[in-house]
Amino acid sequence: MTHKTLSRRQMLRRGAAFAAAPLLSPVHTALAASSGDPIVLRASAGQAALRPAPYGPTDVWSYNGSVPGPDIRVRQGERVRVLARNGLDEETTIHWHGIRTPNAMDGVPHLTQKPIEVGGDFLYEFDALDAGTFWYHPHQRSSEQVGRGLYGPLIVEEADPIRVDRDLVWMLDDWRMTQGGQISGDFGNRHDAMHSGRIGNTVTINGQIPERIAVRAGERVRLRLINAANARIFGLDFGDLAPVVIALDGQPVAPHRPEAGIVIIGPAMRVDLVIDMTGRPDDSVTVTDSFYEGLEYSLVDLAYEPDRLRATVPDWSMDLPPNPLAEPDMATASRHQIVFNGGMMGQTMMGGGMASMMGQMRQGNLWFINGKAATGHMMDPLLTLPQNSSHVFELDNRTAWHHPIHFHGHSFRVTARGGQPTRHREWQDTVLMAPEERVEIAFVADNPGDWMFHCHILEHQAAGMMGVIRVDAETSKT
Amino acid sequence: MEKIFGFFSLSATGAAAVVAMSLSAAPVEAEEVTLYKNPQCGCCEAYADYLRQNGFTVEVKPTHDLVQISRDAGIPDDFQGCHTAFLGDYVVGGHVPINVVNRMLEERPEIVGVTLPGMPMGSPGMGGTKREPFKVYSVEEGVNPTVYAVE
Repeated sequence: MTHKTLSRRQMLRRGAAFAAAPLLSPVHTALAASSGDPIVLRASAGQAALRPAPYGPTDVWSYNGSVPGPDIRVRQGERVRVLARNGLDEETTIHWHGIRTPNAMDGVPHLTQKPIEVGGDFLYEFDALDAGTFWYHPHQRSSEQVGRGLYGPLIVEEADPIRVDRDLVWMLDDWRMTQGGQISGDFGNRHDAMHSGRIGNTVTINGQIPERIAVRAGERVRLRLINAANARIFGLDFGDLAPVVIALDGQPVAPHRPEAGIVIIGPAMRVDLVIDMTGRPDDSVTVTDSFYEGLEYSLVDLAYEPDRLRATVPDWSMDLPPNPLAEPDMATASRHQIVFNGGMMGQTMMGGGMASMMGQMRQGNLWFINGKAATGHMMDPLLTLPQNSSHVFELDNRTAWHHPIHFHGHSFRVTARGGQPTRHREWQDTVLMAPEERVEIAFVADNPGDWMFHCHILEHQAAGMMGVIRVDAETSKT
Repeated sequence: MEKIFGFFSLSATGAAAVVAMSLSAAPVEAEEVTLYKNPQCGCCEAYADYLRQNGFTVEVKPTHDLVQISRDAGIPDDFQGCHTAFLGDYVVGGHVPINVVNRMLEERPEIVGVTLPGMPMGSPGMGGTKREPFKVYSVEEGVNPTVYAVE
């Protein structure tokens, strides 16, 4: 009887034994999206060198043969045109996470488009209204399609960006690998669905297990973190460095230090940081992930080059220009209670709807929004909101687990947590709810159409934690 | 206690019963237990406390590899509990009542261990009210799990 599995830390160490401090490659080909032919993103099975040599490659599904897929970069206001081609053996779509698009471009199978059939294609086309850090991924069987490597960054640059020395993207992912170095095929198992989702054992930055990343003393870096993991929440500690949060989910926020110095980033969320490299030449600082107690590990070392770029910390502004988002009118906003139930240890918090929910759980639907578990992308809307009206959602997490709740087609302000107003009233498109936490979000329903509202722990989504919010263009006329 | 034995465990139990009888005068020694659990799962901590209250020494190890650990231990996916404990040569999956654990340790059947699938309400460490009898399964290599005890 054996019960030894390769922990991520062991895997990372094992990697370290062979890799003589390789530097992380810069993020892949950046594709400018403007003018002429659309960018082609072809989803297909392939291989990726997730682990350093001498290990062999890992079988993945990827866009254009790379994990992450191509870094798509446009200027704010430009048009994004992407021709998605399906080279998989199953249907797919592409969802443009966090960026506001017309409903028909949202990439939700059956709800906003027919899924792209095997061998088929679909032209996605929309204007980049907001500057910021976004990403793309399939919305069809996302747990496996994203989990096998289908994702990439979408960066919309400000017309007048803040001054930094380098602008870096770290697309974080978490893989469940077998000892043979392949992706474990146990997608959709009940334990993952019932608990914290498919959390793996191997963490990558931009598709590689990193050893160290070179920095220079005095350098100012804008670091765009994107969490592409199915379920892992990161809590990054940058040691002696003092990162400043300047944007959340692509949207500017008043520059501030993260609480307790730890940068929390749930699945699908993004955090833009400004980091001044205040160490000395030849120093090194370890970035650790300390989110899960007892399972902390070293993510990567930042290694200072021998030379110094500058002697003092620059006094350049970190304030990003605001995006053109409609401000919710809190005086007239309608309030809606949205209750989340289900999962392991969730029965005692179900209240009146318990009998119905327990019945649904026996069918394998384990998570509920307002008492209902979704069984697909098509369903009656949870709410129908007149276009251009303001709304407050009172999100009530009556479960013992974290949930990053994503609302399509809109950004919303996070206005309160646990009954207390938030300090920054941050704009987000995915809000992380702690176990049994109550969170209020406010927004203007200004983008007509049927929009998904779901947990971005993809196993929770697949097991029912999903709903539709309808923004009704018709009723706005009355 | 209603007992249902699978074919294999029945023969194994017969052989083990002789041994158990000869040891029945001595108290069961405090066994050391290693319990693997999801880092965020609270009910598993409660089960660890339950084992401690029943005389075991328990080390709790958080892991994200619980499914694989349980699988490697021989517990098929559909029969896994929400944590997996190792007691000497035996594996105990989920919220198995202590008398079933003790019975296995006394009878020492030739099985890999026992498991209570899922998270039944009212089981040790789970809280809530018991809604239906707990079916504890025995796990054996190369054999589909069979019911070991109904509590």
